[in-house]
Amino acid sequence: MNELKSEFEVNKNNIRENDVILRLENITKVYPGTIALYKVNLSIKRGEIHGIIGKNGAGKSTLVNIISGIISPTEGDIFIKKRKYKTLLTSQAKREGISIITQTPQVIPDYSIVENLFYPNFMESRIGLINWNKINCEAKKLKDTVGFNISLEARMSDLSISQQQIVLIIKTFYLENSQIVILDEVSSSFLKKDQDYLFKIIKKHKSEGKSIIYISHRIDEILEVCDRVTILRNGEKVATRYVSSLNKEILSSLIVGTKKYKKDYLNRVTIYNKKNLKEKILTVKNLTLYGSFKNISFELYKGEIVGIAGLMGSGRTEILKTICGVYQPGSGELKIRNEHVYIKNPSQALNKGIIYLPEDRDKEGLISLLSVRKNLNLSFLARNKKNKLINLKKEGQLTEELIGELDIAITSSEQETNDLSGGNKQKVVLGRILAAKPIIYLLDEPTKGLDISAKRSILKIVQENLSKSGGILITSPEIDDLMLVCDRILVLFNGEIINTFIPKEYNEKDIYLAMQGN
Amino acid sequence: MEKSLKIKLFCLDNIIWFILCGFVLICSMFVPHFSSYKNIINILYHSSVLSMLVLAEGLTLMSGHFDLSIESTLAFAPAIGALIATKWLPGIHPIIPIFITFLVGAGIGLFNGVCVAKVKINPFLQTLSMLIILRGIVLFLIPFSISDLPESFIFLGGSRIVMNIPVAVFVMFIIYFLFRFVFRRTRYGRLFIATGGNKEASFIAGVNTEKVIISAFILSGLLAAMSGVLVTGRQNAVTNAMGTNWVLLAFAGAVLGGVSLSGGKGTIMGILGGALFLGTIDNVLTLAGLNVFLVYATKGFLIFIAIVLDQFKTKFRSSILRKEELKIIKKKFGFEKQTNKIQSEL
Repeated sequence: MNELKSEFEVNKNNIRENDVILRLENITKVYPGTIALYKVNLSIKRGEIHGIIGKNGAGKSTLVNIISGIISPTEGDIFIKKRKYKTLLTSQAKREGISIITQTPQVIPDYSIVENLFYPNFMESRIGLINWNKINCEAKKLKDTVGFNISLEARMSDLSISQQQIVLIIKTFYLENSQIVILDEVSSSFLKKDQDYLFKIIKKHKSEGKSIIYISHRIDEILEVCDRVTILRNGEKVATRYVSSLNKEILSSLIVGTKKYKKDYLNRVTIYNKKNLKEKILTVKNLTLYGSFKNISFELYKGEIVGIAGLMGSGRTEILKTICGVYQPGSGELKIRNEHVYIKNPSQALNKGIIYLPEDRDKEGLISLLSVRKNLNLSFLARNKKNKLINLKKEGQLTEELIGELDIAITSSEQETNDLSGGNKQKVVLGRILAAKPIIYLLDEPTKGLDISAKRSILKIVQENLSKSGGILITSPEIDDLMLVCDRILVLFNGEIINTFIPKEYNEKDIYLAMQGN
Repeated sequence: MEKSLKIKLFCLDNIIWFILCGFVLICSMFVPHFSSYKNIINILYHSSVLSMLVLAEGLTLMSGHFDLSIESTLAFAPAIGALIATKWLPGIHPIIPIFITFLVGAGIGLFNGVCVAKVKINPFLQTLSMLIILRGIVLFLIPFSISDLPESFIFLGGSRIVMNIPVAVFVMFIIYFLFRFVFRRTRYGRLFIATGGNKEASFIAGVNTEKVIISAFILSGLLAAMSGVLVTGRQNAVTNAMGTNWVLLAFAGAVLGGVSLSGGKGTIMGILGGALFLGTIDNVLTLAGLNVFLVYATKGFLIFIAIVLDQFKTKFRSSILRKEELKIIKKKFGFEKQTNKIQSEL
């Protein structure tokens, strides 16, 4: 680490005071249970593109939400053009010329592009009437200057996400005249063409003296467009560097940091070597879902845990949802054991022994109005069509067994699931899929939003309870988690498997680089 | 969970029965002739017709949808049956028109269900259009009421057996207990309530949710047809105005019985309580000599009460559960504090 801190490390004193337009000092944000940001310092200069990069949960979004006033910091000061703010309101941020464009475009879908561009400042006349002639005239002028080739009368909802995003970007740069523009992972859905267009716009405005804060999880973008970059890791600032001093290797080792659980990984290698993987239970061949992923081929053996690593939008969730029948594949084939299967919906998938644990446990995993007992037995009942009547005694036994086996902390099995903690909710969902006795488990981010101890216990359940009865496909945005339990990690990039790692080769930096497309 | 808490929750979940009992008690003290055997039977008889409709609405609500068309099905299904029995095929075996009546009810439900579950039409628009279409056809088919129906047609709704109790009352109780069993003890009932509670999650958990939703509409159509048969029997005729405006009462009964408008919540016994409560109110207000239109207004007021009651119930429920949780935490920490004290003293 230390040798990496070269002479390019930015020293606050080197920047002339009047160059700095925004400065954060010792910003800390504490949420119940976690520290999202710890003593972060950041200074943004006039006329620079400042990148912020870090892994999932590093605190990127928290940081920019603090800058734009959406959330207030627990401790620390914000200086905007020498004015000091303890807490910043969104209205104050707006007055200071700070705008934010978020990952999901904030538009009014039923308005036309023109209406969205000028909302909410419709240039009303003195008596409050909207002068549409004037607005349309302005919009046409704007269209000519930016070279925008979509009809201004088009409704926002007819545009693609990236087009909506571009409209918002044009609005922020040309109409709102903001001094500091925050782009929070706006380009994750962009095609190359859109991205080039975006870069052209922000470079142009940079030269006009505006400051741009560019958040991304893609190393390439940061290196291409930014002047300086701040790296965050686990809520702490690692460094701020001039991009000219960086390359992919250095940047990704700064993002990933030093290994934490080396011992566990070594343990993994021995577990892997002991495993006897002979019985092939799932074969996926050239599976394609247009617009999400293409030519996915892999095999899964009984007792094996296969991880799927990839950035957001790389197609991890879609692959799992296609295998279990939520989406219908465009082409490709699935084989369970040696039998070709065609799966139309999750109900059929369950009959074949495939079950899916959804990423969003509150919306898609649990029926929150029902008791723990009824949730635990749902998939079991859905699968066993012959049991027309419920044997309440047997059901009670099964419930108690599951609660004991997974160590679910509840006062009673009749308790409704919506009062449970996140970790316990996830255990109930895991219990539900375990009770259905499938042979293929598709786990979509089972550790999402859980604290360290809950995460560990969920991963332990995956490793000890689930892998006994079948094969497991697991995704997670956290490489650590995957390295802890997986016998193999497939790396996805733009919907294609571009690399496979086995425990001997596990190294967070390499996997992270692979996720970036290298 | 402690016993006192369990009792509290039980009372809260079955609040409609306590209200009903209290109401009956008060009425029997103040309203003359209320508590006579004849009147009690009369209330049950009166409630039986509406109770079928309330159950139909309750089921669709529990599945996360609703059905406005039931009041038109109530008239349409027996109208077809009666026309077959009297005009179209007069000599036919008397059981067949009844059978066809139920078939028509189920068919309407099937159509609604397929449109909602598979074609993904909004249930409000789908069932609203059916409500208007069916009523229109009924008005066209039977401009005047059809009486002199075969005996089989009016047996369920019109005749009385043991101790002068109408068959309709038995029908009501049998159907309710049947559904109670289905919802407590069968796989189908469990998957049904799960689908109503969270359709997306149930779908992913492997429940065939389309099938469940279609079946909910079929049951709703069948029950509406049953309700129609009971009305027909009671008035010994099929008229084209049968069931007009009853769908709102069906909503009221279901909501009073603890069914949530957003689905997934409700019990069959609660729905029965709601239906009986509506019948009792109707009876009492008529006995007290209130104007018919005011009786109607009172029922509207009841819908309002039902919704307020539902809000209050949810709030109260979560507040007692939270208190209980606090108690448990306090117990835990209180204990820990004491051990800490002992340790520090040592």
